[in-house]
Amino acid sequence: MIQLLRIELYKIFKRPRTYISFGIVAAITFVIQLAMLTDGKTFIGFAIQGINEQFDIQGNMLNGYLVTYIILQSLLIHIPLLVALVAGDSLAGEANMGTLRLLLTKPITRPKLVLIKFVSSFLYTVLLIIWLAVVALFFSILLFGTGDMINLKSEAFIMILKDDVLWRYFAAFGFATLAMTTIASLALMLSAFADNSIGPIISTMGIVVVLTILSNLEIPLFSHIKPYLFTTHMIGWKGFFDEPIPYAAIGKSCMVLVAYTVGFLATTIFYFNRKDIKT
Amino acid sequence: MMKRLVLLAGIFCLLATSVWAIEANELFNTMRTKVLSVKDYTADVKMKIDVTYMRIPQLKGTLYFKSPDKMRLERHGGLSIFPKKNINLTLSNLIPTGQVAVLDLGPTTRNGKKLRVLKVIPEDEQGNIVLTKIWIDETNLLAVRTETTTRNDGTVIMDLEFGNYIPFGLPDKVTIFMDVKDYKLPKGVAMDYNDDHINDTKPKDGKGTKGTIQIQYLKYTINTGLKDDIFKGKKGEE
Repeated sequence: MIQLLRIELYKIFKRPRTYISFGIVAAITFVIQLAMLTDGKTFIGFAIQGINEQFDIQGNMLNGYLVTYIILQSLLIHIPLLVALVAGDSLAGEANMGTLRLLLTKPITRPKLVLIKFVSSFLYTVLLIIWLAVVALFFSILLFGTGDMINLKSEAFIMILKDDVLWRYFAAFGFATLAMTTIASLALMLSAFADNSIGPIISTMGIVVVLTILSNLEIPLFSHIKPYLFTTHMIGWKGFFDEPIPYAAIGKSCMVLVAYTVGFLATTIFYFNRKDIKT
Repeated sequence: MMKRLVLLAGIFCLLATSVWAIEANELFNTMRTKVLSVKDYTADVKMKIDVTYMRIPQLKGTLYFKSPDKMRLERHGGLSIFPKKNINLTLSNLIPTGQVAVLDLGPTTRNGKKLRVLKVIPEDEQGNIVLTKIWIDETNLLAVRTETTTRNDGTVIMDLEFGNYIPFGLPDKVTIFMDVKDYKLPKGVAMDYNDDHINDTKPKDGKGTKGTIQIQYLKYTINTGLKDDIFKGKKGEE
């Protein structure tokens, strides 16, 4: 099992396109950091003008913690595409190259193969999130320093003391890993349905985009289905930057994401077990 | 005979009113002189801001004050939040300066303590303070409560509790009640989380509301001749 996992990881990290994801994460992060370095104070000034009418806020508001939050807010929408690039290719890519049938001649059950593909996609996701944490958090702290973090919500101004911030980021990155694992399991399921990798990757992104729009639309028609969409719960990481932290809501989001992940994985195993492999 | 009695009573009332007015003026001026005798101080403080739309933990830091209106909270790299300068957090800024008219509203009891209530109206019509009501502890010459109506910032009520620094008229604890306006940030800039209905903080009527700021003064260092440089924003600060 470990040997097969090693082989899967070798296949993932041998491909140059795997590193494109890491490059894209770094590029977007550095662009936002550059924008914040040059124009961040204007952005903050605009954002807090309502507060500034009544209160004077002194100190380094544009610190690494706030910049990281802005980066995550912008970037975690795009990470699903990068996860789908690998997970969507894992079964369909093999089928496309004609290696799936050969692979299944080995003494390994189909469910086990699906699980190995899932674990390798999960490990890739974890590495991508760790990379995001390094370039976003570490470099932002390096460039902008640390300090108390402000969280500007549409109807609330939240301030978190600097000693209380870092653990929230670790929790948020942990939550983001869970959310991206759900995407990986969705892409893997779609990958089992297809014989070429483009279809599952585009389908995953299509589903994510459509459901994200539904999750964000303030229309009563969709208010009943919103709590059941995984995209509604993918932004649960933001809850760690609220005060008080809505643990119940975060826990509920975690359960929904775990349920979707298990559901997608079970469907993949069920379907792949019965699939007629022709390539 | 009757006419003389009425005349005497009238003269007595007039004299009594003017004597009270002088007493009230003296009381206010003595109290103001005591408050203004503190030219500067440095104090270790704990500050709690309780405004409907603000969720801020208790802030600890060092508060620098220099008469008449310079104030700075140093939080060793952290953020400090103050109401705008015209609603300063010091008593000296909520007591009118210059020529004033003082009206004696008589004695009252508050928290078991006998107090005298004065209404002070500044003669300067351009200033931010329209009128101030002051509850004075005559024994210690301390203002224990002020209610200041400002031209631009609504009404500011300040409750003061004294302990170790009575000779300087400096409080151990100050609670400020002030009017605050609504706060709303465009969705495009906001960092919202979809489960916000759980923590809905918006006042239901959509109008402005009251805010409270509580400052606990732990230790004062008084009249050390603080330099103006302390009150200038440091590099990188907003």
